This record gives sequence, C-alpha cells and structure tokens, in this order.
Amino acid sequence: MNGDINMQISKQLHNMANEKENVLHEIFRDRVFNGIHQGTTWQFHRYGINCKLSGSVYAVSEIENAVPLIHGPAGCAVHQRLKPRKMYAPIYNLPCTNLNENDVIYGGEDKLREKIGEVYHRFHPSLIAVLPTCISGLVGDDVSGVITELDLPCDLLHVPSEGFAHRSRESLDMMMRDYAESWKDPSRSPAYDLRGCGHEEVMFSIVDQLMEEQEIAPNLVNIESFGRFTYGFRSELREIKHIFGEMGVSVNLTLPTCTVEEIKRAPAAELNIVTRNLRWAERMKERFGNDHLRKWFFYFGFDGVEKFYHDAASKLDLDGEADAAIRKEKMQSLQELEKYQKIFAGDDFAVSTQGFFFTPYLAKIYATDLKLPIKYLCVDMQLLRALNISEETIEVMITNMQEAFEEWGLGFEVVTNPTLDEMSEIAKKVDHVLSDRITPPIYGKGGGVGVMDISATRYLLFRTGFSGIVEFGKYLAEKLHGERGKTYQNNREPIISRFNYDKIHYPMLDDNRCSASREMWSGMWSMKSEGCDNNGRR
Amino acid sequence: MDGGKFFGAFRASSGITDAVVLNHVPVGCNWGAAIFKTTSNQFDMRHACTVMHEREIVFGGEDALREALIRADELYDTPLILVIAGDAPSIIGDDVEAVVNSATLDAEVMWMEAAGFKGSMMDGYEEALLRLAGLMKESETIQGSVNLIGFSPDDFKVDADVKEIKRLLLDAGVEVNTVISKCSLEEFRRAPAAELNVVLGQGTLLAEQMKKELGLPYLKMDYPYGLDGTAHFVNAISEELGTGHEPEFDIEPFKRVYLYLHELYGTPVSVIGDFHAEAMANFLDGELGFNVEVSARNEDDYFAFEEEVRNSNTTILFGSSFEQNIAETLNIPLIRFCYPVFDNVCVYDDAPYAGFRGAVCLTEAIINTVMSYGGMNK
Repeated sequence: MNGDINMQISKQLHNMANEKENVLHEIFRDRVFNGIHQGTTWQFHRYGINCKLSGSVYAVSEIENAVPLIHGPAGCAVHQRLKPRKMYAPIYNLPCTNLNENDVIYGGEDKLREKIGEVYHRFHPSLIAVLPTCISGLVGDDVSGVITELDLPCDLLHVPSEGFAHRSRESLDMMMRDYAESWKDPSRSPAYDLRGCGHEEVMFSIVDQLMEEQEIAPNLVNIESFGRFTYGFRSELREIKHIFGEMGVSVNLTLPTCTVEEIKRAPAAELNIVTRNLRWAERMKERFGNDHLRKWFFYFGFDGVEKFYHDAASKLDLDGEADAAIRKEKMQSLQELEKYQKIFAGDDFAVSTQGFFFTPYLAKIYATDLKLPIKYLCVDMQLLRALNISEETIEVMITNMQEAFEEWGLGFEVVTNPTLDEMSEIAKKVDHVLSDRITPPIYGKGGGVGVMDISATRYLLFRTGFSGIVEFGKYLAEKLHGERGKTYQNNREPIISRFNYDKIHYPMLDDNRCSASREMWSGMWSMKSEGCDNNGRR
Repeated sequence: MDGGKFFGAFRASSGITDAVVLNHVPVGCNWGAAIFKTTSNQFDMRHACTVMHEREIVFGGEDALREALIRADELYDTPLILVIAGDAPSIIGDDVEAVVNSATLDAEVMWMEAAGFKGSMMDGYEEALLRLAGLMKESETIQGSVNLIGFSPDDFKVDADVKEIKRLLLDAGVEVNTVISKCSLEEFRRAPAAELNVVLGQGTLLAEQMKKELGLPYLKMDYPYGLDGTAHFVNAISEELGTGHEPEFDIEPFKRVYLYLHELYGTPVSVIGDFHAEAMANFLDGELGFNVEVSARNEDDYFAFEEEVRNSNTTILFGSSFEQNIAETLNIPLIRFCYPVFDNVCVYDDAPYAGFRGAVCLTEAIINTVMSYGGMNK
C-alpha cells in the first residue's frame, strides 16, 4: 500500500479509537504492571510450583474484608504473602499462629483459638479464613472443631490447604489429549476436574460453610472470576453484564470477588458460570439446586460467544426470548469489525502461535472472525513438551488440529515448530508475520524475520464477549497501517534476542543449571501420584 | 516477620555458588525460599526438591530423597549437594542421615535438619554454617587476608556491596579470602587460610568455632553503610591486621546535591530489617542527619512496629518490599535495602549501598525517591 492510503487509514483509525472506552489501554496496563510479575513467575514454574496455601491465600484475598489466617509456623506466613498471580500485591496483613516445636508435640489448637480472637480484635474483618499448613495438617489439629466452638461477630471459614496435597504433573497430559479429541466435537469435552491448587478449595469451602439457602430468583447468574487482577477483567465483566442485561439476565455477583454477605446470598442465582473447576458448582447444585454452565474453550470467537449466551439462555429457559438480543450484539460488533476486515483483505499473513488446548479456536478467530488472509499458521508445540505433555498426545493434537482446520475450511498451511530458516522463507511469501507470543529471541536474531508482536492484545480474543475481537481488529489495523511508533520499530535488535535460549523450553536460557533444575523438578514431580487414576483424574 | 529456620539454612547453603541445594520438603517451601532468590538472579537455578507429597507424608520420604539424590547427581555438574530437611520430614521422622550415608554419588553430599518451626531464620543460617564448616580444609594462612561472614546470595545489592567492600579492603592492603555465604565450594574450603574473620551481623557461631578450633580471631562489625561507617569498618580491620591504612573518601558527589541534603536534614524516618537495619539507621542519623523515629528488627512485633510508625512523623520508610503497605497507607516513600526485596532488582555491580560508593548511591536513591514522589500533590 502507498503512503497516502496509509495516512488515510491512520486518520480513520485515530477517529475510531476515540469511539469507545479504551479497552486496549487496560490490557496494556495489566500486561505491564501485572505481567512483569505474573509472566516471570510463570517461567519459574519450570523449577517448582507454589504451595496450595498460596492459592488459597489468593482466593481469600479476593473476598472483601476477609483475613486469611495461616495456621502453621512463621515461615509459611512469610513467603505465602506472595501469590504467583498477584506478586505485586503481597498480602501484607497475613496473621499466623507461629507454631513452634512445642505446638508440634502438644498440638496448636489453643494457639489457633487465641489467634482467631486476636485477629478479630485487630482487623474487625467480615471473615477469618483459617488456612492450615503441612505442619498443622500433620499434627492433626481439629481446625473445624475450633472454629465451630468459637462465637465471634464475624464468619469463620476452614479451607483445607495443606501444601503436600497437590495435583500431579501427568494430569495435564490426559486433559490436553481429551481436549484435542473434542476439538471437532465439543460435546466430548473432558467433564472432570484437575485437583485444586488452593482456589478450588476456597470455592468449595465457601459453598459448604458460608452460603445460605435462598429463594432462587429467575434469570439471575453468578460468575466465577479468576480474580479482579486478571488481564482486562473490568472491561470484560462490564460487557458480560451488558449482554446478559440485554437478554434480561442479571448478574448476582462474581465469586469469590465479592463481599461475605454477597457470598451468603449466592444461592439466589439460578445459574452459576464456572470459569475454573466444577466441584464448587456441583456442590451448590447439591446443596441449593443451582444449575451451572462451564466456560469452555469452544466459547471463543463470534460463534463461540454466541453459543455461550445461547447455552446460558437455554439453562435459564430463555430460549428464543434472548436470541434477538444476542444476535443484535453480535451483528453490531461484526458490522464494526467489517472496516478492519477490509483493511486486512489486501495483504497476506503468516501467524505464529503456540500449541495449547485453545489453539484451533484461536486460529479460527484469526481466519474466520478477523478474516485475516492467512497463508501459513506456524504452531510451536515446544511449550507442550516443556509442560511434560507426551509425544503421543502432541501427535494427537497436531493431527486433530489439522483435521479441524480442514473441516472448518480455513485453507492455510500448518507448519509445526518452524526453524528460523523456515520462518525466513515463510516471511518472504507473505506481507506480514504476526506472533501472539514474544518471538524476537527466536526469529529476530541478527535482524532475521520481522515479526509483529500481538502477544498482549491476544488476551482480547479470549473474552466472553464480542467487543474484544473488534478491539483486536482495531489494534492490528493501526499496527499495520497506522503511523504511531513507526519511526522506531524498523531496526530493532533487542537485547533479549542476543541470548542463547533452550531450544525446547523457550524462553529458558540455554544454561546447564537451568536445564538441570528444570529436569530435576520435572522428574521428581512426575513421580508423584495424587490419589487419582494414572491420568490425573479424580 | 521471620522466615524461620528452613529459610535461614537455604540462604546459607545456596550461598555456596557451585553447590546444589536439595530441599527435602513439600512444594511450597521449595518455591517460597527460591522465589526471593530469583528476583535479581533469574538464571541462578541450583535448587531442587524432593516434592514431598501425601504418599511421602504417609509412608515416609526416604525413597523420594534417595531418588532425588541420584537424579541430582546425574543432572548437575556440581561438586556438592546440600540436603536441607524441612518441617515435614522432621515431623514424620525421615532418617535423612541414613539415606545420605547410603548413597554412592559422584558429588559430595551434606545434609542438615532445618525444620522451620524449630527456630528463627538466623538460627537456620548460623546452624547451617556450622554444618558447612565440616567442608573446610586446613590451609596455610594468607597474611593480611580476611573472610567476610554474614552474606546471603539473595541479600539486596549483595554483588555490588561485596565488590565495593573488596575494593576498599584491597586499597587498605587487605585481601578478601572467602565471602560467606557467597563463594564457591573451593573458596569455602580454604576459608581457614584467612588471618581474620569479619562477622557482619550473622555467622558468629561459625567464627567462634573457627576461633576455637583453628585459633582464627574474629571481629564483629556493623554493615559498612555510609562514609563514617565504612571508614570505621576499614580502619578496624586494617588496625587488627596491622596494615596501617587510613581510608579516604571523596565528598565531592555530595557537594553536588548539598542543597537537597540541607533540606532533608532532620527528616523523620523509620527503619526495619535484619542486622542491616541498625547500620542503616546509624548512617541515616549520623551522616544524613535524619531523625530515626522508629527502628525495629524483623523478629520484633511487626504490628507494634506498624503502630509506632503510624503514630510517628515518619516521612520515609526504610525496609524490605514487605513494608510497601505501610508506606502506601501513610503515603510516604519506601527505600528498600534488606531482604526480602522482590519488587526491585539490583543488577548493576557498581551501584552498591555499602562502602564509600554505596554512600553516594544510597544518598542518590533517597534524594531521587523523595524528589520524584510527587511533592504536595501526593
């Protein structure tokens, strides 16, 4: 395209940018200010995992005016202040019973009783969540007994969070394979849970111990959140509420991101939207009769999001009534997206992505929703190897992915694990190479393949709404033909592209200590069973 | 707020920079101890874990430990594997010693018991060093040399501080023989070659033992913050070794910001931390003329500290990353200087906080923090 057209599109894009609230800015802010901690911590998972206790501390920290109380030695209350999903916001007020050798011998129940009282008088919380550690678990303290006998003007919760009870490494392998088996037929999606990592235990405990019987109000839903610190949480929730509102459905609360009083009233909702594990929702159904709907991978993309709201409507007996509202929302977004689709239509693309359970549906968004004329889809499966996914499962995933693409008629060539040379050749055959993960260290070495980074904005594509895809389209159009930042992005040789990386476990450095520690961790973790079958299912 | 004995043992052990630390613990303890170490050294991955799980809790963790030792020996190119047994194996009664003794490995293996509930972080550090002392070899004394004892690899600014202290001592004709615990195994082994042990805050038990068994004298010194603190540090060592050196420092950098220093004179501040805290407070008080209103150690009652700070006129807080909350609540800046620091990195080895250069860097950091804090708008 020539300069004039670029300028014209740029102006047009600038005007469009002012039309809506800046969802993009929110994503970038979250990516920068949360991601610097969260993304880095995720990499450290190659060498170990955090304690179940920290998952529980995180989930409790989402409940307004709740105080987590660690029942264990002082050390547990030091590092558990940092939670991998929220490293930048430690739980500063993390009281602890500070168990010592005497307590290990004689039991720590008295200390717990005393500490609960102290915590109440210091913080006046709405809820004190007692989180036992490996030590109190081993000693056998009766936490439930202690909190039952106490009479305080706040709620008390016992969350089984002993750190030695966690999922096995292999559990992910079978889940990944089951996902791959269900790509073409979503009705076969794996309907089981992996063992909890702290969050699930809190969810189950609040259902079991805090929620109270309510009269179920029609067309009212609860939404399970990953927490208010998830990338783009605020704007996504806003859109979900808007679409539900148009359908005549109200959102009761987000769990566990709410107050204790709201938790108690949660059973008033007719339907629970489950984002993570099902166990808590099944328990709610058992105790209070609330139905649930899980947010599956196939609810991505325009058709997927439409299906999600249709399925929710169906669960709420709103079949037909809600159709018009859902269609209207979808059509509005599609209409808005059209102007960007036209911009993309003139160019050829290669997209570099990584293999995971959502990959086919993500590729479908690129090709079908955004209508990117994709010639090559480059899929890096190395991440899966790094996660201990077996070669057999990876084979199944590749085969099923290709079959799904053929069935959906997406028409691009799939290249798995392309080398730098292959990427260079691909780059010559297209106008743009996009990458939804940070790839300059792999493909940009020595000024190699010019890749457009869409790693931050791809989070917009995983939302339970239509506008994220539109926002993504707007961003991509601006990146491709807008003027902003163009002066500086031509001759990069980033410092990160000057390191040597491990070929499989990118972005781990090619370093003997890192490799040995990764393999050591992987091996030791693999040895552990979890009280479930060999495939990690409960 | 104290990390407990396990954390202390981990910090001392991981300071042997070519050793591998094998944590015989469930996943969380391993993660927690390591996460503070990785902030400013993200590829220094030398820790492993036996991943104690429900099965080990019920049937014992000895098999897992045996397996982990074999794997670690195969995977790492290391002369030494240090096994630290934490809380869980201590309660269930794993016979760690028997497992270690029965293992035939290429690497040397040493183990230590460090259940978190059995003592403080400093206890863990002290006891670990005593245990590690078994690795030392008789060595010919190097005249005019010292060991520096008390460091940990995850101390904030540790590399830069050690470099600066070495530079200053070298100027004084003193060679640093071994930095404990921030040295290779070989350097650790030859620690007895020093003429003097210098203990900075922790490691006294090791120094005492080396004095008793090897006749090696030791000096207990404050961490060398500030111009006077550093001069005192260098002078004391120099005097002890008879090198007769008078350290000189350059006041010029401070002149460039003398007006700011004037304005900051009398600033009310509070300080909390490990053994570094007292030396920091002395610098702030004695050299910058700040009023140290509250000074506390990590092992003190944290809530009491918080309350005292809240009731004081504190305008700058000095501590670890964990003090950010108090700083935010009181709308004052936080200067991070001691463990654990997990929300700032220190990667430049020539920007210390210790020593003469450190006094300049620290002063610069304080002034910049205050000036960029937002003035009356904050």
